[in-house]
Parts: sequence; C-alpha cells; structure tokens
Amino acid sequence: MDFGKFLETPEYDIKIITYRDIFQSEALENSLFGDEYKDLSAIIKLDSKDMEKMGIKSGNIVYLKNKYGDVVVKAVESDSENPHRGYAYMPNSPWSNSLVSDETGNTGVPNYKLIDASISDAKGEDIADIEKLEVVNV
Amino acid sequence: MEDEDKYNVCTACSILCDDIEIETENNSITGVYTACRKGVSRIQTCNEPMPCTLDGKDTDVDTAISETANILKKSENPLIFGLGNSTEGAQKKAIELAKQLNANLDDTSSFCQGPVVEAILNGEINYTCTLDDVRNNADVIVYWGADPANSHPRHLSKYTYFPRGKYRQKGYDEDRTAIAIDVRESSTAEICGNNSYLIPPQKDEELIDALIDALSGKVPKVSFEMNKKRILELANILKKAKYGVIFAGLGLVYSLDNFEPIKRLMDKLNEVSNFYFNPMIGHYNMRGFNQNLFNETGYINRVKFKDSEVKHGYEYSVVELLKNKSVDSALIIGSDPMCSLPGSIARNLNKIPIITIDPCETLTSRKSRINIPSALSGVECGGSAIRMDGVRVNFEPMIETSKISDEEILRRVMEEL
Amino acid sequence: MANAMEIYQLLPKTNCKKCGKSTCMAFATALLSGELRLDDCPEILEDKYKQNYEKLSELVAPIENASETGMIIHEGKCTGCGNCVVACPVNVAEDPKGTGIGLAPKNDRVILKVVNGVVQKGNIHNCRRFGENKILCNACIETCPTKAIEFV
Ligand code: SF4
Ligand code: SF4
Ligand code: SF4
Repeated sequence: MDFGKFLETPEYDIKIITYRDIFQSEALENSLFGDEYKDLSAIIKLDSKDMEKMGIKSGNIVYLKNKYGDVVVKAVESDSENPHRGYAYMPNSPWSNSLVSDETGNTGVPNYKLIDASISDAKGEDIADIEKLEVVNV
Repeated sequence: MEDEDKYNVCTACSILCDDIEIETENNSITGVYTACRKGVSRIQTCNEPMPCTLDGKDTDVDTAISETANILKKSENPLIFGLGNSTEGAQKKAIELAKQLNANLDDTSSFCQGPVVEAILNGEINYTCTLDDVRNNADVIVYWGADPANSHPRHLSKYTYFPRGKYRQKGYDEDRTAIAIDVRESSTAEICGNNSYLIPPQKDEELIDALIDALSGKVPKVSFEMNKKRILELANILKKAKYGVIFAGLGLVYSLDNFEPIKRLMDKLNEVSNFYFNPMIGHYNMRGFNQNLFNETGYINRVKFKDSEVKHGYEYSVVELLKNKSVDSALIIGSDPMCSLPGSIARNLNKIPIITIDPCETLTSRKSRINIPSALSGVECGGSAIRMDGVRVNFEPMIETSKISDEEILRRVMEEL
Repeated sequence: MANAMEIYQLLPKTNCKKCGKSTCMAFATALLSGELRLDDCPEILEDKYKQNYEKLSELVAPIENASETGMIIHEGKCTGCGNCVVACPVNVAEDPKGTGIGLAPKNDRVILKVVNGVVQKGNIHNCRRFGENKILCNACIETCPTKAIEFV
C-alpha cells in the first residue's frame, strides 16, 4: 500500500491506551473474520477537543503510524465523561497490535497497554480486513 | 447436593463458572442459563469451525497428524505455544511432547499475567486466597488496572462485591466497598462510583509508593494531578479493611517493570490491616498450564528442553524466540498468536511452518501448513482446569462430537514420532 | 423517552373521561406509567386522529413493551453479568441459596435472571417499586455496568 499520500495531511502525536470490550470479545467468539469483530475492533476513541484540533470528525477514517507498523481505523468520539486529551483508547485486537513495539527491554513482555503513534486523516482510505493486515502479508 | 449434576462449567474465562445450565436439542445447544454474554458466545461455538487441512487442501486427521510428526521430527528448534484454552490433560501431554522434541514451550502468560502467577507459585507472595474466601469474607475489593465488567463479567456478581457471604450478610451497599484504580473510566470504575481512582498511564508505581507513605503516616506525594485528600481517603479505606483483596489486572502488570512494588505494598498492607492479592487471569486454563509446567520443571513458562536439561529465561519467551527468528517450526494449540502478539513480532511466523490445533479457524490457522480441528473443551470434551485463584475445576462435555480432543491429538502425534 | 406533555399534545384533548381518567393530561400520565394503554382511549381510535394515533403508537411502544411495572431491559446493552440479579433485594430474600450468594437461581420466585447471556424478567410483580408498599429501589439500576435497565 502506498501511504506516501498521507504525508500531505497533518500528523499529530497520540498516546493510545488499549482496553477490552465484552461486545468485541463476543464478536470474536462468534467470528474472527466477521464484520462485527472488525467494526468493534478497528476503531480509535478520541477526546472531542483533540478531534477538533485535528480536524477529525467522528466516523472519519484515520491513519495511525509509528516505528513498528501502521494501520487504518475509524475515529470515534470518546464517551468518557472525563477529558483525556493527548490519549486515545483502542480495544485490543490485531489492529491495535499492528502498532505494538517489538522491544521488550529483555523482559519478553511488550507494552501492549500504552502505544505512542501519530494520527492523521486517511481521507476515505479503507479499513483493512483482518486478513489484509500487514502481519499476515509479509 | 441434589441438583449439582445438572450444572455445566463455562470455559470462556478463568472464573470457570460452575452453575451453568443448558438445554439441548438433537445434540445442539438451544438455551444457556446464568452464563454471561461472553460465556454464551463461547458455549454456542464459532461460526467458522476449523477444517482439517494440509498445505491449504482438505485432508483427513490421520494424514494431518502424521505430517505434523514429520515436520516436528525434522525441526531443530521447534516452538510449542498456546494451551491456555486446553484441559490439564492436554497441557501435560504438551509438556511430554516438548521434552521428547527438545522443544521450546511457552504460553500467553509469557506476555500477560506470568510474572504474577510466578510470584505466587514461587511463594514470593503468599497473600493469596480463593474466590470463595472473597465471597465469604472480603469487605474491601480493589480492582487495579482491571475491568472485569468487560473481561470477567461475573466476577463481581458471583464472588466479590454483590453476593452475600458467610461473614458478609448485609449486602454490597453496607458490607463491602469496591474500588477501581485505572487509567481510564472503565465500566467497572463506573460501578465503583466515588471509589474510582483515575491515574495517568505508567504511574501505578508512584501511587503504590504514595499509598505506602500514607499507610505509614507520612504525607503522600505524587507527580501527577491527584488530590492528597483522595490518596489519604483511599489509604484509609485500605487500612480499615478487615479482609481486603487486590485483584491485579493487566493494566497494573504492564505498567510495572517488576514485581517489587506490589510486594512492598502487600507487605505494608499486611502490617496495618489484612490484605490478599490475586491476578485476573484471562484464558480459562492459563493458570493450569503455569501450575503443571511448574510442577514438572520449577518454571511457569518460557522453557526450552535440551535432553535432560531445562533452560529458562526471557530468551525462551515466545516474543523473543520469534523476534530473533530462532525457532524453525511452531505447533500452536488453542491460541492465535498472529492475533495476540505485536504485529512486528507475529509477522515472523510467516517464515516457518506452523501447525495449528484449534476448534475454530484463527488468523494463525489461515497461515498454517497444517490445521487439525479439535473438540472445544468444556463444550465438546471434558477435563479439568485451574481457576484463576488456583482451585481445580472438573467439567464434562455438554454435547457429543466426532472431533477429538487436544489431548488425544497430542497423544497421537507422540505415537507417530 | 417521551414526556407527558408530548403525549398530551397528540391526544384529542377533549377530556371526554371515557378512559376513566378525568383529563387527557391524566391519561397521558397513565400511559407513561404503563397504567393504561393507548387503545384505552376510544376517541384516538377514530379515523380523524389516524396520524396522531400512529405517532403516539411510536412514542408509547417502548412503554407498552415494558412490563406493567415499567421495567425496560435494553437487551443489546446487557452483558449478562448478573450484577442486578444478585443485588436485587427480592432475589436475595426469595432465593438466598441461589442468586443471593451469586449462583444460578434455585427457584422461580426471582425477579431477574440471566438467560442466553441477557437478563430476563421473571416474577416482576414482586418488584419493590410496585404494589402497596412501594419504595424507590435502585439496586438493579445502580449496579449495572451498561445502564441496561430502566424504569419508565
Ligand atoms: S464470567 Fe467467565 S466463566 Fe462465567 S459465564 Fe462469563 S465468561 Fe463464562
Ligand atoms: S427495582 Fe429493586 S426490587 Fe425491583 S427488580 Fe430492581 S432491584 Fe429488584
Ligand atoms: S446488571 Fe445490567 S448488564 Fe448486568 S445482567 Fe443486569 S441488566 Fe445486564
């Protein structure tokens, strides 16, 4: 995939906190390859003020990238009552795992919980189906 | 008890709820009682059952098993991984197989609750109790970096906060306090209401030390925005506890470099009150794997067998083995590392032959040379497992199947070797 | 959720009393609480109110689907965690060895139980919010992680 074109849109730094969602777990038990699992997984929840700053609207497709990988997901406005500017939430899934570091500082435990990445508007790019993710296609 | 027989066990998480009733019609499950949404979705099995394949083509189980033996025989440094969703019987077989093959053996605890389980089994931390103890005694329940409302839905209702217990007869609002400490407002935090404490990521150790200070009568200090009063208030609840329990989730485990801070806190808490510590384990029998391997080798995960020797260390963790591309084949049992490992590491699985044993298709199975369908444990086959708190739970199958169990598949692979 | 004023605006406003209430406003309130049903108003069934009747039907559908005690369960939100089941004081009193201690229900007198992963209403007449000595019990609402239970 040619991601060069995203360089033209502004990029912002974001810290991603991952979490588990029972409805997503349910979808996974039903079908890993189904639309429901994809819809509940390939999302990033952003603080509304951050979204304003980034010019990203709920439902926009965004491109997340760091040194370890990149992935295209849907942005949604966070339902959290407390503001969490600078932090975004993503359910644990192969989509969030696309960005997890392979460095473990000799512990064998990668940091799944907190991921540094950049975010930019992906301008209508498609969210990859699970089987199109880079991890299975290298 | 008279009607104990009618109950089944749910294997969708490591609470292993043992009060599930089912209705069946023509050997398929038509109704599930008392299991949560997550449990029901497991019990009703997946939409994509695993086909038996060799190099992408359908084959029979016998051929798949003998080809598996062939690959493993030729392999110089194989990896056996998974088993958190397998019965203890299968786990023991996998340990035997790993010995026979001089293989690396690891499970998902390697990159989640491993350090905590290790500390418990090693006796480094001996403040543990069972979930039944919690139900009967606990008055202060702390979820730290855990969100059971999403990961272990019945944890609060079956064991910790809501049920009446022997010494907790008055109900949750009078008899118990539930506390959530987390980096985000989880559903569990919402239930805890005013007793929910939000902290910034990676600041868990700081809060631990601030709590220790507060419990020692010193003024607590943290570098982030958190009212001193709030910390003192929390410390006060912990101090007053007659029977407190901390349930550690992955949020806590991932934010600490080692286990020391937890030990410090537990020691302090037990100086001033009475506190227990338990990990929130995910897969239904991850603890079983850890315990069985520990009994056999003294290690809970990350081992490499070499003739009569057992090597252990982070370099034998699934993450490092794949990162360093040091394994030349992988036997994956009831796990989906392609999904659960960091993409930057899992991609290396594409370079080696994989054999997957699983009831359902997985991302890993779609990239595997050999796939062997197995019976879904807890639903299609029985066995035993170790609950998150160390209690052994036995279970019977709910329905019949022609598929064979992980244990039987592993036994037959060993026979072929 | 609809309010009484919204409902009132769509009613015939004739205060005909045929429904047994003295005013249409009182009827609107009775509709909201689930005490009466829309079809208890004979006038609204007339042809000239057809459009209003349809709108009203939509408005009150969630209420009429609720049990007569006004409890609504949003099944799509329910995780089947059982918090409400175990916290409900009636469940505890009626089933101390089952739901009272967090286990599967041992009898049919319980109000709430989990079936196929979502909570289901059972013996709802026992609910403390209703009957002669009703009290404003909140146990099943405040213990729910997803706000899946609502009373109207
Ligand atoms: S809490 Fe866990 S074991 Fe219990 S029913 Fe739900 S998924 Fe199954
Ligand atoms: S309102 Fe109270 S009595 Fe009624 S169902 Fe809810 S918890 Fe039970
Ligand atoms: S507490 Fe809420 S989510 Fe849990 S079973 Fe009751 S209604 Fe469902």
